[in-house]
Amino acid sequence: MNAAPAIRLDGVGVRLGDVDALRGVDLALDARTVAVIGENGSGKSTFARLLAGLVQPTTGTTRVLGLDPARQAGELRRRVAVVFSNPDAQIVMPTAVEDVAFSLRPDRLSRDESRRRADEALDRFGLDALRDRPSHDLSGGQKQLLALAGAFVRLPELVVADEPTTYLDARNARRVSEHLLADRGHRLVVVTHDLALAERCETAVLFAGGRVEAVGHPTDVIAEYQAALAC
Amino acid sequence: MLSLYRPGDGILHRMAAGPKLLVLLGAVLAVSVLASQWWAAAVAAGVVVVGYAVAGFGDGLLGMRVLAQQTLMLRWLLLVTFVPQLIFLGPEAAVANTARVSAAVLLAGLLVLTTRVTDLLDAVERGLRPLERFRFDSERAAVLLTVTLTTVPVLARLAQEVRDAQRARGARPGLRLFAVPFLILSLKHADQLGEALSARGVR
Repeated sequence: MNAAPAIRLDGVGVRLGDVDALRGVDLALDARTVAVIGENGSGKSTFARLLAGLVQPTTGTTRVLGLDPARQAGELRRRVAVVFSNPDAQIVMPTAVEDVAFSLRPDRLSRDESRRRADEALDRFGLDALRDRPSHDLSGGQKQLLALAGAFVRLPELVVADEPTTYLDARNARRVSEHLLADRGHRLVVVTHDLALAERCETAVLFAGGRVEAVGHPTDVIAEYQAALAC
Repeated sequence: MLSLYRPGDGILHRMAAGPKLLVLLGAVLAVSVLASQWWAAAVAAGVVVVGYAVAGFGDGLLGMRVLAQQTLMLRWLLLVTFVPQLIFLGPEAAVANTARVSAAVLLAGLLVLTTRVTDLLDAVERGLRPLERFRFDSERAAVLLTVTLTTVPVLARLAQEVRDAQRARGARPGLRLFAVPFLILSLKHADQLGEALSARGVR
């Protein structure tokens, strides 16, 4: 018997207020890196939030890493990390090292262990020199790297990134992309308008009007997206 | 809002957050109950100077540079406290009461100046834990306190962005014009922060 795919949606719909953000979505994704593309309002971000257990399906069933986000939200959040587009909204603590360590609070580690892992994560993302700097004084690129450090310090099995390079210049966007795509034993679902980033993933999903329009190799899916945009 | 943690190696920096909170609370209460007389003003000022001197901020002036910065931030509070009392109560009461109020605020400021927010968060959570038997969520309360402290610079930046955007469009400064977009941006930020906290495992 084949193992279940990491992400499986069967007939999933999500209604937000008066809007059907997702409609009848059927998906089975098992690639390590998945790009989610589509126009604004197409349902990409709702899909990302669904995977992270931040919104619940109105209809259908969802399985992420074999878990039901509606019933096993706590377990899901231990195994799934989320990176949002606006790094300011992700920073909770006043200094970089404290902010990364904040992600480890649910694990109830000792203070020394928590600091050690936070320092390691800062080092990995090139932020070791900024460990005691006020988080909100960092540049946009540094803040997004800090958000990544806060996500990866928990050693997540799945990282969901919702437009992580939107606010960044080309150099920082490239750095963030490299970190996301590097194989650290995690799966990645990245919602993005950056088609160069999407091209580097193993699989791409195209959303339009809350439905999945195409799934497959990024080159083919991007070509379909560009053809739709040209119409 | 007094500024936050300053690194240092003095006695207050080395003290655990819980006992430090109690010591400073005791000092604040002590200066608060002093009489409204000249000697009380001197005692209040003396307690503050000693507090900042022993804190060990390493500013080269035995903590007096940090004390001056903190006092400067309180200038409007001092003015609002001092002037009406000077008019209605006379100079002795005005000086003594203003000294007591500012000493209390400055001593309270020593807590956040010498304690990392993480340690403060742990101390508050530990202190509130006995209330859990009454179904009080001490972790949530501690995180709420922390987020409140750390959101201040974000709100200040949002306020500046709103003012800049309005100036760029030639709008004249006004409370109504400022309040609506600021409120919308703040609520949007709160929404995003709530999602980010959930994603980071905060219930």
